[in-house]
Amino acid sequence: MYEVIVPRLDPAMKTGKIVEWLKNEGDQVRKGEALLVVEGEKTTFEVEAPGEGVLRKKLFESGADVQVPAVIGFVGRLDEQLPTVEVAVTAPSALPPIKKVEEAPPRIIERRAEGFRASPLARKLAEEHAIDLATIKGTGPDGRVLKEDVLLAVEERRARVRAPSVTLTEWFKGPRIAKSIPLSGIRRTVAERLSYSFRTAVPAIITMDVDMENLIRLRENMKTTINTDLSLTAFMVKAVAIALEAHAILNSALERDEIKIFGEINIALAINTPEGLVAPVVRDANKKTVQEISNTIHQLTEKAMQKKLDLQELLGGTFTISNLGPYGVEIFAPIINPPQSAIMGIGTTEKRLIILNENVVMKHIAALSLVFDHRVVDGVPAAEFLREVKRLLEEPHTLVA
Amino acid sequence: MLGLTEIQSIKAQDYAKLGFEKERLVWMLKKMIEIRLFEERVEELYLMRGLITGPAHLYFGEEAVAVGVMSGLDPNDYVISGHRGHGHALAKEISEKLIMAELFGKSTGTCKGLGGSMHVGICPEKNSLFASAIVGSGIPIASGVGLALKYKKSDRVVVVFFGDGATNTGAFHEGINLAAIWKLPVIFVCENNKYAIGMKVENAVATNSIAVRATAYGIHGILVDGNDPVAVHKATKQAINIARSGGGPTLIECRTYRQKGHGVYDKAPYRPKEEVEEWLKKDPIINFEKKLTSSRIVSEEEADRLKSEVLSAIDEAVKFAQESSVLPFQELGKLVYS
Amino acid sequence: MREITYAEAIREALREEMIKDPNVVLIGEDIAAYGGAFKITDNLLREFGPERVRDTPISEAAIVGAAIGASLMGVRPIAEIMYMDFLPICLEQICNQAAKMRFMSGGQLRVSIVIRTQYSLGRAHGAQHSQFVPSWLLQVAGVRVVLPSTPYDAKGLLITAMRDGNPVIYIESSLLYRVKGPVPENEYTLPFGKTDVKREGSHVTVVAISRMVREAMAAAEMLEEQGISAEVLDPRTIQPLDIETIVNSVRKTGRLAIAEDDSKTGGVGAEIAASIAERAIDYLDAPIVRIAAPDMPIPFSPSLEQEYMPNKQRIVEAVRSLLE
Repeated sequence: MYEVIVPRLDPAMKTGKIVEWLKNEGDQVRKGEALLVVEGEKTTFEVEAPGEGVLRKKLFESGADVQVPAVIGFVGRLDEQLPTVEVAVTAPSALPPIKKVEEAPPRIIERRAEGFRASPLARKLAEEHAIDLATIKGTGPDGRVLKEDVLLAVEERRARVRAPSVTLTEWFKGPRIAKSIPLSGIRRTVAERLSYSFRTAVPAIITMDVDMENLIRLRENMKTTINTDLSLTAFMVKAVAIALEAHAILNSALERDEIKIFGEINIALAINTPEGLVAPVVRDANKKTVQEISNTIHQLTEKAMQKKLDLQELLGGTFTISNLGPYGVEIFAPIINPPQSAIMGIGTTEKRLIILNENVVMKHIAALSLVFDHRVVDGVPAAEFLREVKRLLEEPHTLVA
Repeated sequence: MLGLTEIQSIKAQDYAKLGFEKERLVWMLKKMIEIRLFEERVEELYLMRGLITGPAHLYFGEEAVAVGVMSGLDPNDYVISGHRGHGHALAKEISEKLIMAELFGKSTGTCKGLGGSMHVGICPEKNSLFASAIVGSGIPIASGVGLALKYKKSDRVVVVFFGDGATNTGAFHEGINLAAIWKLPVIFVCENNKYAIGMKVENAVATNSIAVRATAYGIHGILVDGNDPVAVHKATKQAINIARSGGGPTLIECRTYRQKGHGVYDKAPYRPKEEVEEWLKKDPIINFEKKLTSSRIVSEEEADRLKSEVLSAIDEAVKFAQESSVLPFQELGKLVYS
Repeated sequence: MREITYAEAIREALREEMIKDPNVVLIGEDIAAYGGAFKITDNLLREFGPERVRDTPISEAAIVGAAIGASLMGVRPIAEIMYMDFLPICLEQICNQAAKMRFMSGGQLRVSIVIRTQYSLGRAHGAQHSQFVPSWLLQVAGVRVVLPSTPYDAKGLLITAMRDGNPVIYIESSLLYRVKGPVPENEYTLPFGKTDVKREGSHVTVVAISRMVREAMAAAEMLEEQGISAEVLDPRTIQPLDIETIVNSVRKTGRLAIAEDDSKTGGVGAEIAASIAERAIDYLDAPIVRIAAPDMPIPFSPSLEQEYMPNKQRIVEAVRSLLE
């Protein structure tokens, strides 16, 4: 039995229309004889008998449209059985079907305002710091906001706090105000920063007494033998810096939900100026000698007094030391300098009677007060750190070795 | 050896004298039938069944060239083919299964389904080195193969097949010239089937023959009846002798005819009906079979048996191809660089 | 370490590999008797003979085609295409044949050839003898593209090219032929796909290719004096391209400039810029800038050609525009 097929005459041809059959069912046909006329998309052509025999069956009549290639009839002997007529109108496709993927409708992100420019890095940083780009002044070409601009804005925002909505006079209705000092410059910054710290950190305090005898003696020796006067604060900075190397959790900052341990140890020193408190930074304090630290402290203090400190010298502190010893304060709870996690206060050095080996002796003692952010540091690590600082101060030759 | 020779159709009574035994002649007949029936099936799969897509340049009417050349070659000799390469591939004993699977785009094809009809003949283990889809581009590559063969002092030769159209490309000129100046063992076989798609050879080539172009390169040219496999075999042998004796390349022009269109969808309406009918009368298979049966080298039953053997092998090949799977897309990246 | 020229380094690589393996064969126009148009293959004919150092007629398609065919038979041909401008004549063999033979054959064929070529931009050779067009080859999957910028890189990369097992286009800059540089005596290879940090810096990343690497290094010196620290990267191979190293550098500096001798539109820089924009957009603090040649044929008149060519001054200006 031969199949009569309407061929696909070119790859783009999809259908053909049977214009007319030239033979009828039951007619004897020869191989190659024209059986029907088909109209394709481009041409009209004849389909020939594939072999000799009788046209046994027409599956489609004249006028029918078929998808090519298509089996449309059979030619064979009369005694042959016709194949069952579940003829596929379409030939199995040579190509696999293309999978349709159901897609959720896309989330449309709002286009940024026209004319607004920011570098991709600036955008990324702004997002990380949850700061609104639109509020930042751009210093790049065409007012483009750059990384520097974002970082500066972040610094500024740190200290900003919402003022209460009601004024003091309204609240109190008296007493008389003697003098009004505008909260500006350093004073303002100090107020803003400390408020922020107070509202976010969870401060806890521990104190320890330090035997200052060895340190006093060392300083005296250095003054007389090598004519070098190293300040107490310099030793304190060095001791703290070394201790932080082993207790890095106190040299950190909490940023959203990550505790970022700093890779540098930059000790900020609280310095009291006529205008208020500033905290310039001794960078890489752990890598400097006590002498170098002492020199740096001198320079920074002078600059602070002359209001000549620049931004670089004020930024980057990882831990702060505040020395109220010269003012006779024994123990105090300094406020942590955000975003740092701890601050150490140094109290006054005074002669006290203490019990040592069952005896009462007189020693020069100073109190160290460590205030730490309990969100980041627990009591025991804080104590271990402070104990290390104490140990270093009580064996000060290790600091200048 | 310079100059031009012509080899005309060889009479059956001369076969024995020329050393053609029955075994070889039967191989030739069977191979030609295999090529013809294979191409018929491929045509059906395209047009009637819609199971294969892409281009296909069928070898109807040119079987004697592929078969005659491969018969003259040693299996260790090399072949480079072109876009009309199914016949060469089959004649070089590449399995129908592998060729059919390649046409179906399956991973079991000669090129893992990545080449298609114009590259089915790439099968280095059968010494069928390459098939280029760009007309003429195989010619300089064949010269390179010849260069390597001469460099390694091998006595093998390389044959490159191309059509009359290719002889007008720059690649033909550059490739043949290089082989000529360096006397490389390359046999350039031009299948002049009278048409390059719709361009008649008489309109594309100003000389009377293509073989005469050999003289322009200082090499030998042979003009042979491309519808007689025995004549083609003889021509190939002559070229091999020239190559092996250090005489360099030969250009063989096989005169034959492309019985169907350029590609499987081309009905070739640009050819005069009389011309087609005249050449159909010279059908290489019908005439060769007649020669063999009338001189009783082969019986008609034997010939019929050959046909049914071939048909069942082709059925096997189609089944094999249909049942094979396609290479997963992720595998493709590894095949760009070695 | 001894110093030799870029040309000598290339010649050494060829010679040493030819000594090592008798299958290595050189073919090209005027490489034998003439010693090479730029004297790269000088004296190799005398040392290795005419079977291994072959002069060809003017037949670029046949040169590459023959190299392909010979490589199928286990010979290792190094073909020379005298000027990159002649590449279009054999582009068919490179792009349609060599690049695709492995893939089209389902992995059966291996085309292991090196096509050495050079560009003469800067020598007043005119529009048809000066072109530098590596990105043409970038678009063709299947070939490797190598651009050495120093004698050290030239030798190591060429030896790797000869052993890579793929069609390799090895592009020399003829203005670099006489440049000297340190090259070890003993054998070494350099990997493809490894961007070389030629100079470390922190303010801007400058990616440069071929002749422009030297210009970029000179520009970096000039920028240093102005307080700008430039990091200079040399990809060495643009296919395969080590983009990761460039990404890491941009993460550090936030700024990218690309210096190239080809024309800007569709040049190598366009590819690198797009890749960096895809992978490192969040680290860019400024737009990506390309220092390339203008989109026009190369003028002959020497002073006009100099104006056409990108140079260290232009790199400096471009970098400064990123920072101001």
